[in-house]
Amino acid sequence: MLKGLRNSAGLGRSTHALLVMSMALLAAGCDAEETSTTFQGEGAASDVMVVMNKPNNLHVVDLGQRRVIRTCELPGDFGPGTVAVAPDGNTAYALTNRFENIYGVAIDTCEIVFSARQSQGEERVKTFAGIAVSKDGRELYTHQSPTRLLADRYEVQGARLAVYDTNGGLDSLPLRTLPAPRQITIMATGEDGTVYLGGRDIFAMDPSSGEVRVALPSQSADIALESQRDVLSVWPLGSVNNEMVRMYSAARFQDESQDMETADWIWGYERIDLATGAAEDRVFGPLEVVLFSGMARPDHPEQFFGVLTQLKKFDVAAAQEVASVDLEHSYYCINFATDGSELYLAGTFNDIAIYDPDTLERLGNIQLPGGDMSLANSQVFRRVL
Amino acid sequence: MTIKTGLISSLAATVLLACHLSAQAAGSAEAIMTASCSGCHKQDDNGTWSRISEQRKTPEGWHMTLVRMEEIHGASIVDPAGGEPGAAMRTLVRHLADTQGLTPAESAPWRYVLERELNTIEEHDTELFASMCARCHSGARVGLQRRSEEEWRHLVHFHLGQFPSAEYSLMGRDRDWLGIALNEMVPWLASELPLDNDAWTQWQAQPKQPFAGRWRVAGHMPGKGLFAGDMVVTDGSDRDYDVEFNGEFENGEPLSGAGKALVYSGHEWRASLTLDGEAYQQVLMAEPGSAQLHGRMFRRDNVEWGLRMQAARAGGEARIMAMQPSYIRAGAEQRLLLVGAGLDLEADIGLGAGLEVLGVTERSADGMVLQVRAAADAAEGGRTVSVGEAGAEGMLTIYRSLDRVTVEPAYAVARVGGNGGSQPVVEAMFDAIGFSNGPDGEPGTEDDLRVGPLSAKWSVAPFNAQAAADEDVRFAGAMDAASGVFTPGAAGPNPERKYQTNNAGNLKVLATVEHEGALLNAEGQLIVTVQRWNNPPIR
Repeated sequence: MLKGLRNSAGLGRSTHALLVMSMALLAAGCDAEETSTTFQGEGAASDVMVVMNKPNNLHVVDLGQRRVIRTCELPGDFGPGTVAVAPDGNTAYALTNRFENIYGVAIDTCEIVFSARQSQGEERVKTFAGIAVSKDGRELYTHQSPTRLLADRYEVQGARLAVYDTNGGLDSLPLRTLPAPRQITIMATGEDGTVYLGGRDIFAMDPSSGEVRVALPSQSADIALESQRDVLSVWPLGSVNNEMVRMYSAARFQDESQDMETADWIWGYERIDLATGAAEDRVFGPLEVVLFSGMARPDHPEQFFGVLTQLKKFDVAAAQEVASVDLEHSYYCINFATDGSELYLAGTFNDIAIYDPDTLERLGNIQLPGGDMSLANSQVFRRVL
Repeated sequence: MTIKTGLISSLAATVLLACHLSAQAAGSAEAIMTASCSGCHKQDDNGTWSRISEQRKTPEGWHMTLVRMEEIHGASIVDPAGGEPGAAMRTLVRHLADTQGLTPAESAPWRYVLERELNTIEEHDTELFASMCARCHSGARVGLQRRSEEEWRHLVHFHLGQFPSAEYSLMGRDRDWLGIALNEMVPWLASELPLDNDAWTQWQAQPKQPFAGRWRVAGHMPGKGLFAGDMVVTDGSDRDYDVEFNGEFENGEPLSGAGKALVYSGHEWRASLTLDGEAYQQVLMAEPGSAQLHGRMFRRDNVEWGLRMQAARAGGEARIMAMQPSYIRAGAEQRLLLVGAGLDLEADIGLGAGLEVLGVTERSADGMVLQVRAAADAAEGGRTVSVGEAGAEGMLTIYRSLDRVTVEPAYAVARVGGNGGSQPVVEAMFDAIGFSNGPDGEPGTEDDLRVGPLSAKWSVAPFNAQAAADEDVRFAGAMDAASGVFTPGAAGPNPERKYQTNNAGNLKVLATVEHEGALLNAEGQLIVTVQRWNNPPIR
């Protein structure tokens, strides 16, 4: 219990501090004006990050040059700022406007080439980070939680997967909707067309037939002497590893009495290989502090990193933490260079911190114009700018 | 955030301030309902409104509902006959609380939430209720409502429709939240908290007491001690009351002023007073069949500062309300203040076995000062104090030794605030309570005797190693050594702290009582945490 108390108290402190701090910076006049600078190495491929922040910006960041090269202002309100990128790297699809609208933004021009207002008529639709693009780039998927707003009452509707044509242009409507499990957050697409939905388990859906199966049992995993898993994941990660990945926490009991007082707390990851569909879950270390997001370093699957107020590095084989550094402030969302040479921390505030994954030395920060990133995820991909 | 804050301020004020501006709306409540509600709610031939007629709640509950209708659902509470802004809202709250309220018995288990007793730790009958309902708001918020089964079902749909994250957050994502809510919670709520209009109809039929007159007031405010005084109530212009409030704490500090009161549902007394320049609110319940009010009076803008109080009609049934101090050591001689109402000036004074009244001064119907001696061989325990017909069981305690002290509350929450933000600090205040171990000499057994509040020296310390490492004592705020009042630090990120975190802390609250040359120590816990941004009347 003490462990739980400490964790939650620590979480409250840091998140609050940063929200207030970001508000203060907004007030200090960091204008979110559109910027566009010429990239000196035009023609060469570079690692690019897209990430959203308040008031409703989508930034294109040249990671090699350590600078924001374009800031696209999107209509409507912010939130949650989840971004999925088309396989060709030309379009970023942003979930925003209070978890309702999708905007497809041309990365080179900021032009909105696709949009969908999910709420239609008497129905209000929310999406909690559930957005993904098919590997052929033709379809966009969102997980929808609809509610009918009737005159004197609300009526919660069944959750569903909405399938959009990415060539549908502005004000697109779904090509079709398919019943889906509730409580889905992150999603990803496999090379065989499967849509993976991260919820109480990780589900696999055939977006043509709507057939759903459990791809990776999470809450339904029945593991001796382990509690039910808890997953808090609103950051679609792993595109640089062609994987869907999320962390879970669980208690590991000493014996059948399942005494929480003597239980060990563990971190594990749940992973889908998007090339093969193979599912893997594995304990990677002890749970000592709360972490928000984590992933393996590209080409180093034995090195798993997690972040919140510390950046932690784990040896997966040994299931041990091997390094940890305190951060300047909380960062919610981790990511890597496509070759694994650098580690990027985003989310929460309005700077991207760059770390050396070997030494956990901080290599620099990239300041974003505008306010905090809040729950936004970063997406990293390689592209000619 | 600004909108929320404004909403909450107005929410907090309206039910209590309804009485400040006596209703001037020309139209009836029914006319206001038709004008304001019929756009969405249907009224059938019997006058029954869809949804509205299927629930009963407190005045605060109705007011929160009406404000939500305006803020979220686009309603406009208007009087077709005109009238000043806000009057229609006040008329409607009154109408709904008077016609679809809760009986005293129905609200009794949950009054702490109406009284803003912030450090109440709720205990619920089932884990399911605690995790499905009381993890986002108090269980009392549910307990203070009565609905039909269909209406509870509508409420579940509203919850997930309006707060879609409910099924994603902790203790929501670990289960089929919607399925459990609809299939398990709805039937349970309909059974435990049914609409049951018969109970309400019976309560409405009972005669209600008048409120005008002089009331004796006694109470206790942590950090200040006993309060005794008067409240004079006179009939106002529109079923409301003018209130004059006068009295003082045990240290002689006065508290006086005036305001307005309104009674909802026949027994829900709500007053808004300005006492010594500070806005106070009273949330009291009139005991059925008894000229007695009880509840809490708290500062409007710092609700943690409150007087737990009772009021008894002067000239009504004779009552003994409080004693200060409420204990005496065996073998000691002591001056005691007795606070009462309607006391017989000639009647015998009884203090129980082992106690002798040496002298009486300042005797009146409102109380007296007694010089009392406790026999050296007097048995430990509570005594019934009587003045003629009036008696109060356990009003005075005889103890032989003070064996230990506890901190009350044992666990408290304070909140950082100020510093340019919208929320003030929420302070925490503590009492040191003395105990005797009783005849068996063992602490924590059934024969332990609660003696009462003692003067203590107060301090804080890190609760654990993490709190020490984070220097919580340095940053989280300051404890006043004499009063036991803890004032938290300023809100916002603190650049001097690790991670630039704010001035949160996990502290031990330490009380030291000097008693007959020995030091008795006690320990509690204080969590200093972040602001609450959403502070409606019922949390």
